[in-house]
Amino acid sequence: MATLKRVFMYVFLSGAAAISIFPFLWMIISSTNRSVDVTQGRLLPGSALGENLSKAFEQIDILQALMNSAQISVITTLLALLISSLAGYGFEIFRSRAKDIVFSILLLSMMIPFAALMVPLYRMFGSISQTVPFIGIDTISSVILPTMVTAFLIFFFRQSTKMFPKDMLEAGRIDGLTELGVFFRIYVPTMRTTYAAAAIITFMASWNNYLWPLVVLQSPEKRTIPLLISNLGSSYSPDYGVIMTVILIATLPTAIVFFLMQKHFVAGMTGSVK
Amino acid sequence: MKKWIAVLLVSMMAITACSSGGNNNEGAAEGGSADKLVVWAWDANFNVKAMNLAKEAYQAENSGVEIEVIENAQNDIIQRLNTGLSSGTTRGLPNIVLIEDYRAQSFLQAYPDMFEPIGDSFQASDFAEYKLGPTSVDGEQYGLPFDSGVAGLFVRTDYLEEAGYTADDLQNITWDDYIEIGTKVKEATGKDWITLDPNDLGILRMMIQSAGSWYVQEDGKTADLKDNAALKEAFEVYKKMMDANIVRIHSDWSQYVANYNSGEVASVPTGNWFTSSITAAEDQSGKWAIVPVPRLANNDSVNATNLGGSSWYVLNVPGKEQAADFLGKTFGSDVDLYQKLVEEISAIGTYMPAAEGEAYKAPNEFFGGQNVISDFATWTNEIPNVNYGMNTYAIEDILVVEMQSYLGGKSVDQALADAQAQADTQIK
Repeated sequence: MATLKRVFMYVFLSGAAAISIFPFLWMIISSTNRSVDVTQGRLLPGSALGENLSKAFEQIDILQALMNSAQISVITTLLALLISSLAGYGFEIFRSRAKDIVFSILLLSMMIPFAALMVPLYRMFGSISQTVPFIGIDTISSVILPTMVTAFLIFFFRQSTKMFPKDMLEAGRIDGLTELGVFFRIYVPTMRTTYAAAAIITFMASWNNYLWPLVVLQSPEKRTIPLLISNLGSSYSPDYGVIMTVILIATLPTAIVFFLMQKHFVAGMTGSVK
Repeated sequence: MKKWIAVLLVSMMAITACSSGGNNNEGAAEGGSADKLVVWAWDANFNVKAMNLAKEAYQAENSGVEIEVIENAQNDIIQRLNTGLSSGTTRGLPNIVLIEDYRAQSFLQAYPDMFEPIGDSFQASDFAEYKLGPTSVDGEQYGLPFDSGVAGLFVRTDYLEEAGYTADDLQNITWDDYIEIGTKVKEATGKDWITLDPNDLGILRMMIQSAGSWYVQEDGKTADLKDNAALKEAFEVYKKMMDANIVRIHSDWSQYVANYNSGEVASVPTGNWFTSSITAAEDQSGKWAIVPVPRLANNDSVNATNLGGSSWYVLNVPGKEQAADFLGKTFGSDVDLYQKLVEEISAIGTYMPAAEGEAYKAPNEFFGGQNVISDFATWTNEIPNVNYGMNTYAIEDILVVEMQSYLGGKSVDQALADAQAQADTQIK
């Protein structure tokens, strides 16, 4: 009976795994096929990877776009972690009624879809452009600034901080650490897993971010990877082999970041302090 | 602690680095400075290439003008224009932009001051009449008509022969004839006759435009669905097609193309821009012909219609005079440019004098030596002019749902009446 249950479970899990992994697999296979084969649903690896790669590098500036995406994502992630964790820490450790109200308002802001904020934001950056061009429209700063701090990340850090043993703070204070010292020397190292999870979430969101970069980044040389892919797919006769190859290249960095931090990620999601 | 300060410093430096980068490129960000024209268009192999050909031709005469053609996906252009124009910030907008004809009025009427009238830069009457409606507002010409979306019926002649037909039997037919022939072809070959996407009613648009009708009345605002005889017949034809069991369903563009490239489907009524997708399957060379699209039987309908197509617009930003001059001297009057467009990218313009050129008369071996460009050019001139209005796609979303209800058993009159009611409340 137990073995039967086990067999059933394995069959179910294998099925679920196959379904989840199929799109990824299909992307890899398609990147080695010609466009015609892709549209005809060929499921076997082909020999066109080299051809697709050379076409991709010929048609578009992938390296530039990768650099742009990397620059934006890394800076966004670093700043987001620093600011959001400070905020989450502050909200939880120095609690007061007033701060709880501020926090609720912050949470409410999660309900406003970005599309609704976009036009006013664009207008704001449009006027900034005239006085401070280096954070105005069509700069990397204009992509980073509005997407840097999210209510979700602050919430995430605050919830994780709930499980942080407050005694450790007291110990630190008694030993003569300043408040910032307590934060950087005790809180940050203890919450490593939370930081890892937050880093993955932020990095992926920033790497895949499409709408806002699309609107503010106009010069072709500043484009990020998702914008590049969008262009490739919009032609009247798209070359699916090339598109799949570029998507594969675009996926690699996030996959690498994820696998590097996977262990911490799962731990961070389930509860950070043991 | 030290590590964190280091990280902080690094990120601050990185920000300063990219901000100085931003500073250097400030000129490009302006986009509207008069010494450089920025153009947005989609499809590197078609529109962008066409614009680059025009740029070469113009720069041969006006060497001082710098023109930058930037490729953006069509949806991306719409998103950017909408955000930029509705925020009232012209910063970052291009001088010239390509807009699909179905959407043109929604931009021209929603942002009337943001587009520049360019009627003085070219002779509007030199262009196919049906392109002038979508590109103008109140008699003022804002767009320079570009590619024709003239439709044809692409058909596999080898499958036709198996069923005892030739391409000649498909000249000047009605949609009912089309279905009848399709049924025979399916019997003889087992191949489906047409492939349709239930979420894209392009075929309805083709049918009703051939009868000079549209989803909206001539004012471009009032939805015209309930008592629209052409639309009613188009609905009925659509259902007949479905009932005849000759339709294969696809859900996206790649499946659509694949159905033809794999030889599974025998005919496709669509815009001429689809030619390159058909010819991509080189092994099918000589097996295709292009005939006029079928017409509606019970309405005053012609064997010519349109699907898609777009035009160039000049935005009201610095450099607009130069931009209008550029368009007028290239797409507005350069017959040689149009020959190049045909030869290099098979783009068929709507500039009528261009049809006299040599390139338009060259036979196409893929289509068994047929003069396809010249045929398309002839049909272009027969397309009825309709006002697409501002809401083509919004109304079509409603019709997609009602079409399914109709196929599921609702009466056609009821389906159209329901669609009308919904459109009237949604669209003001």
